[in-house]
Amino acid sequence: MDISVDDLAGGITKVALRGRFDTTGAVVVELPFNKIATEKQKIMVDLSAVNFLASYGIRVLLVGAKIVKNNGGNLVILCPDNNVAKVLKTAGMDALIPIHQSEAAATAALAS
Amino acid sequence: MIAMANNEASRLVLRKDVAELKRLAGWIEGFTRKRTSPDVSFAVQLCLEEAVANIIMYGGARDDPLEIAVELERNGGNLVARIEDNGRQFDPTRALPPVPARSLEEAKVGDVGIHLMRSFASGMDYERRDGRNRLTLRFLEPAVPPAE
Repeated sequence: MDISVDDLAGGITKVALRGRFDTTGAVVVELPFNKIATEKQKIMVDLSAVNFLASYGIRVLLVGAKIVKNNGGNLVILCPDNNVAKVLKTAGMDALIPIHQSEAAATAALAS
Repeated sequence: MIAMANNEASRLVLRKDVAELKRLAGWIEGFTRKRTSPDVSFAVQLCLEEAVANIIMYGGARDDPLEIAVELERNGGNLVARIEDNGRQFDPTRALPPVPARSLEEAKVGDVGIHLMRSFASGMDYERRDGRNRLTLRFLEPAVPPAE
Protein backbone atom coordinates (compact mmCIF):
# COMPACT_ATOMS: atom_id res chain seq x y z
CA MET A 1 0.00 0.00 0.00
CA ASP A 2 1.25 3.51 -0.86
CA ILE A 3 0.73 6.84 0.86
CA SER A 4 1.43 10.22 -0.71
CA VAL A 5 1.00 13.70 0.73
CA ASP A 6 0.12 16.85 -1.17
CA ASP A 7 -0.30 20.39 0.15
CA LEU A 8 -3.37 22.06 -1.37
CA ALA A 9 -4.48 25.69 -1.25
CA GLY A 10 -6.05 26.90 1.99
CA GLY A 11 -3.73 24.91 4.26
CA ILE A 12 -5.33 21.59 3.30
CA THR A 13 -3.20 18.47 3.35
CA LYS A 14 -4.32 15.77 0.96
CA VAL A 15 -3.27 12.27 1.97
CA ALA A 16 -3.79 9.86 -0.90
CA LEU A 17 -3.77 6.15 -0.13
CA ARG A 18 -3.45 3.55 -2.84
CA GLY A 19 -3.93 -0.21 -2.83
CA ARG A 20 -5.38 -2.68 -0.35
CA PHE A 21 -6.16 -1.09 3.02
CA ASP A 22 -6.24 -4.44 4.80
CA THR A 23 -4.25 -5.57 7.84
CA THR A 24 -1.07 -5.89 5.75
CA GLY A 25 -1.52 -2.46 4.12
CA ALA A 26 -2.64 -0.70 7.29
CA VAL A 27 0.48 -1.77 9.16
CA VAL A 28 2.56 -0.09 6.44
CA VAL A 29 0.75 3.28 6.51
CA GLU A 30 -0.16 3.48 10.21
CA LEU A 31 2.94 5.34 11.45
CA PRO A 32 3.26 7.88 8.59
CA PHE A 33 -0.50 8.47 8.75
CA ASN A 34 -0.43 9.14 12.51
CA LYS A 35 2.51 11.52 12.03
CA ILE A 36 0.54 13.57 9.48
CA ALA A 37 -2.51 13.54 11.76
CA THR A 38 -0.38 14.90 14.60
CA GLU A 39 1.21 17.66 12.51
CA LYS A 40 -1.62 18.89 10.25
CA GLN A 41 -4.93 20.61 10.95
CA LYS A 42 -6.99 20.20 7.76
CA ILE A 43 -6.68 16.74 6.29
CA MET A 44 -8.40 15.20 3.29
CA VAL A 45 -7.87 11.43 3.15
CA ASP A 46 -8.32 10.35 -0.46
CA LEU A 47 -9.45 6.72 -0.71
CA SER A 48 -10.27 6.90 -4.46
CA ALA A 49 -7.41 4.52 -5.30
CA VAL A 50 -8.07 2.15 -2.39
CA ASN A 51 -9.67 -1.01 -3.76
CA PHE A 52 -10.16 -2.89 -0.49
CA LEU A 53 -10.78 -1.89 3.14
CA ALA A 54 -10.88 -4.06 6.25
CA SER A 55 -11.26 -3.30 9.98
CA TYR A 56 -7.58 -2.57 10.58
CA GLY A 57 -7.76 0.15 7.93
CA ILE A 58 -10.83 1.58 9.64
CA ARG A 59 -8.90 1.58 12.91
CA VAL A 60 -6.10 3.64 11.32
CA LEU A 61 -8.61 6.19 9.92
CA LEU A 62 -10.47 6.45 13.23
CA VAL A 63 -7.32 6.89 15.32
CA GLY A 64 -6.07 9.55 12.86
CA ALA A 65 -9.40 11.42 12.96
CA LYS A 66 -9.34 11.37 16.77
CA ILE A 67 -5.79 12.79 16.85
CA VAL A 68 -6.73 15.63 14.45
CA LYS A 69 -9.91 16.42 16.40
CA ASN A 70 -7.97 16.50 19.68
CA ASN A 71 -5.65 19.08 18.14
CA GLY A 72 -8.62 21.21 17.10
CA GLY A 73 -8.41 20.27 13.41
CA ASN A 74 -10.63 18.49 10.93
CA LEU A 75 -10.27 15.31 8.90
CA VAL A 76 -12.58 14.35 6.04
CA ILE A 77 -12.61 11.35 3.72
CA LEU A 78 -12.85 11.47 -0.05
CA CYS A 79 -14.29 8.21 -1.34
CA PRO A 80 -16.41 7.32 -4.37
CA ASP A 81 -19.58 5.28 -3.85
CA ASN A 82 -18.13 1.77 -4.04
CA ASN A 83 -17.51 -1.26 -1.81
CA VAL A 84 -14.92 0.67 0.20
CA ALA A 85 -17.56 3.30 0.98
CA LYS A 86 -19.97 0.49 1.90
CA VAL A 87 -17.45 -0.83 4.44
CA LEU A 88 -17.04 2.66 5.93
CA LYS A 89 -20.81 3.09 6.25
CA THR A 90 -21.40 -0.40 7.61
CA ALA A 91 -18.78 0.28 10.29
CA GLY A 92 -20.61 3.51 11.20
CA MET A 93 -17.73 5.74 10.11
CA ASP A 94 -20.02 8.05 8.14
CA ALA A 95 -21.55 9.19 11.45
CA LEU A 96 -18.12 10.09 12.85
CA ILE A 97 -16.02 11.30 9.91
CA PRO A 98 -17.49 13.33 7.01
CA ILE A 99 -17.30 11.32 3.76
CA HIS A 100 -17.41 13.18 0.43
CA GLN A 101 -17.59 11.83 -3.09
CA SER A 102 -15.78 14.69 -4.81
CA GLU A 103 -12.63 16.61 -4.08
CA ALA A 104 -14.54 19.88 -4.45
CA ALA A 105 -16.98 18.89 -1.71
CA ALA A 106 -14.20 17.66 0.56
CA THR A 107 -12.26 20.91 0.03
CA ALA A 108 -15.35 23.01 0.75
CA ALA A 109 -15.97 21.07 3.97
CA LEU A 110 -12.43 21.74 5.17
CA ALA A 111 -12.53 25.38 4.16
CA SER A 112 -15.65 26.19 6.17
CA MET B 1 -32.62 -20.41 -17.82
CA ILE B 2 -29.07 -20.95 -16.66
CA ALA B 3 -28.19 -24.30 -15.15
CA MET B 4 -24.51 -24.97 -14.95
CA ALA B 5 -22.71 -27.75 -13.13
CA ASN B 6 -20.13 -25.50 -11.63
CA ASN B 7 -18.96 -27.01 -8.36
CA GLU B 8 -15.36 -26.31 -7.54
CA ALA B 9 -13.44 -26.18 -4.29
CA SER B 10 -10.05 -25.13 -3.01
CA ARG B 11 -8.32 -25.39 0.38
CA LEU B 12 -5.55 -23.37 2.00
CA VAL B 13 -3.76 -24.04 5.30
CA LEU B 14 -2.32 -21.06 7.18
CA ARG B 15 0.05 -20.64 10.09
CA LYS B 16 -0.36 -18.29 13.07
CA ASP B 17 1.44 -15.39 11.43
CA VAL B 18 -0.02 -12.04 10.35
CA ALA B 19 2.07 -12.27 7.16
CA GLU B 20 -0.20 -15.18 6.13
CA LEU B 21 -3.05 -12.69 5.52
CA LYS B 22 -1.32 -11.57 2.34
CA ARG B 23 -1.19 -15.14 1.07
CA LEU B 24 -4.87 -15.58 2.01
CA ALA B 25 -5.85 -12.45 0.04
CA GLY B 26 -4.01 -13.60 -3.09
CA TRP B 27 -5.53 -17.06 -2.86
CA ILE B 28 -9.11 -15.75 -2.48
CA GLU B 29 -8.65 -13.33 -5.36
CA GLY B 30 -7.37 -16.15 -7.55
CA PHE B 31 -10.36 -18.36 -6.68
CA THR B 32 -13.07 -15.72 -6.98
CA ARG B 33 -11.77 -13.78 -10.00
CA LYS B 34 -13.47 -15.91 -12.64
CA ARG B 35 -16.09 -17.57 -10.48
CA THR B 36 -17.97 -14.75 -8.77
CA SER B 37 -19.06 -11.16 -9.29
CA PRO B 38 -16.64 -8.43 -8.07
CA ASP B 39 -19.05 -7.65 -5.21
CA VAL B 40 -19.08 -11.24 -3.94
CA SER B 41 -15.29 -11.43 -4.35
CA PHE B 42 -14.97 -8.28 -2.21
CA ALA B 43 -17.33 -9.67 0.45
CA VAL B 44 -15.48 -13.00 0.63
CA GLN B 45 -12.11 -11.25 0.93
CA LEU B 46 -13.44 -8.96 3.66
CA CYS B 47 -15.09 -11.67 5.76
CA LEU B 48 -12.16 -14.08 5.54
CA GLU B 49 -9.62 -11.37 6.31
CA GLU B 50 -11.60 -10.45 9.45
CA ALA B 51 -12.17 -14.05 10.55
CA VAL B 52 -8.59 -15.23 9.99
CA ALA B 53 -7.00 -12.05 11.44
CA ASN B 54 -9.08 -12.63 14.60
CA ILE B 55 -7.87 -16.22 14.87
CA ILE B 56 -4.23 -15.26 14.26
CA MET B 57 -4.30 -12.43 16.78
CA TYR B 58 -6.49 -13.90 19.51
CA GLY B 59 -6.89 -17.61 18.79
CA GLY B 60 -4.07 -19.05 20.81
CA ALA B 61 -1.19 -18.56 23.19
CA ARG B 62 2.12 -17.35 21.78
CA ASP B 63 3.68 -20.75 21.16
CA ASP B 64 0.56 -22.75 20.28
CA PRO B 65 0.91 -24.74 17.07
CA LEU B 66 -2.21 -23.07 15.69
CA GLU B 67 -3.43 -24.31 12.34
CA ILE B 68 -6.06 -22.54 10.28
CA ALA B 69 -7.65 -24.25 7.28
CA VAL B 70 -9.76 -22.24 4.85
CA GLU B 71 -11.93 -23.83 2.20
CA LEU B 72 -13.83 -22.14 -0.60
CA GLU B 73 -16.52 -23.95 -2.52
CA ARG B 74 -18.47 -22.65 -5.45
CA ASN B 75 -21.84 -24.35 -5.62
CA GLY B 76 -24.01 -23.11 -8.45
CA GLY B 77 -24.66 -19.45 -7.78
CA ASN B 78 -23.46 -19.62 -4.18
CA LEU B 79 -20.08 -19.52 -2.57
CA VAL B 80 -19.40 -21.21 0.75
CA ALA B 81 -16.34 -20.45 2.86
CA ARG B 82 -15.33 -22.69 5.77
CA ILE B 83 -12.73 -21.75 8.33
CA GLU B 84 -11.49 -24.32 10.80
CA ASP B 85 -8.93 -23.76 13.54
CA ASN B 86 -7.65 -25.53 16.64
CA GLY B 87 -7.37 -22.34 18.72
CA ARG B 88 -9.34 -21.36 21.78
CA GLN B 89 -13.11 -21.61 21.51
CA PHE B 90 -14.65 -18.54 19.96
CA ASP B 91 -18.11 -18.18 18.44
CA PRO B 92 -18.32 -14.95 16.42
CA THR B 93 -22.05 -15.49 15.77
CA ARG B 94 -22.66 -14.79 19.48
CA ALA B 95 -20.67 -11.57 19.63
CA LEU B 96 -22.80 -8.56 20.53
CA PRO B 97 -23.24 -5.91 17.84
CA PRO B 98 -21.18 -2.77 18.45
CA VAL B 99 -22.95 0.19 20.05
CA PRO B 100 -22.98 3.10 17.58
CA ALA B 101 -20.81 5.95 18.86
CA ARG B 102 -22.43 9.38 19.23
CA SER B 103 -19.25 11.34 18.59
CA LEU B 104 -15.69 10.93 17.38
CA GLU B 105 -14.43 11.52 20.91
CA GLU B 106 -16.56 8.68 22.31
CA ALA B 107 -15.98 6.23 19.46
CA LYS B 108 -14.23 3.04 20.50
CA VAL B 109 -11.38 1.85 18.30
CA GLY B 110 -11.93 -1.72 17.12
CA ASP B 111 -14.91 -4.07 17.48
CA VAL B 112 -16.14 -3.72 13.90
CA GLY B 113 -14.66 -6.86 12.29
CA ILE B 114 -17.43 -9.28 13.26
CA HIS B 115 -20.07 -6.68 12.46
CA LEU B 116 -18.58 -6.38 8.94
CA MET B 117 -18.64 -10.17 8.56
CA ARG B 118 -22.32 -10.30 9.55
CA SER B 119 -23.16 -7.51 7.12
CA PHE B 120 -21.22 -8.70 4.08
CA ALA B 121 -21.95 -12.45 4.31
CA SER B 122 -25.41 -13.82 3.53
CA GLY B 123 -25.17 -16.31 6.39
CA MET B 124 -22.81 -17.30 9.19
CA ASP B 125 -22.85 -20.55 11.23
CA TYR B 126 -20.54 -21.75 13.98
CA GLU B 127 -19.91 -25.05 15.66
CA ARG B 128 -17.27 -26.37 18.05
CA ARG B 129 -16.39 -29.94 17.24
CA ASP B 130 -13.43 -32.17 18.18
CA GLY B 131 -11.64 -29.24 19.83
CA ARG B 132 -11.93 -27.10 16.71
CA ASN B 133 -13.80 -23.97 15.75
CA ARG B 134 -15.71 -24.35 12.50
CA LEU B 135 -17.13 -21.24 10.95
CA THR B 136 -19.18 -21.41 7.76
CA LEU B 137 -19.92 -18.29 5.75
CA ARG B 138 -22.33 -18.20 2.81
CA PHE B 139 -22.37 -15.71 -0.02
CA LEU B 140 -25.21 -15.43 -2.51
CA GLU B 141 -24.75 -13.89 -5.90
CA PRO B 142 -27.22 -11.07 -6.43
CA ALA B 143 -30.12 -12.13 -8.65
CA VAL B 144 -29.47 -11.49 -12.33
CA PRO B 145 -32.06 -11.47 -15.08
CA PRO B 146 -32.20 -14.78 -16.97
CA ALA B 147 -30.21 -14.93 -20.20
CA GLU B 148 -32.02 -15.04 -23.53
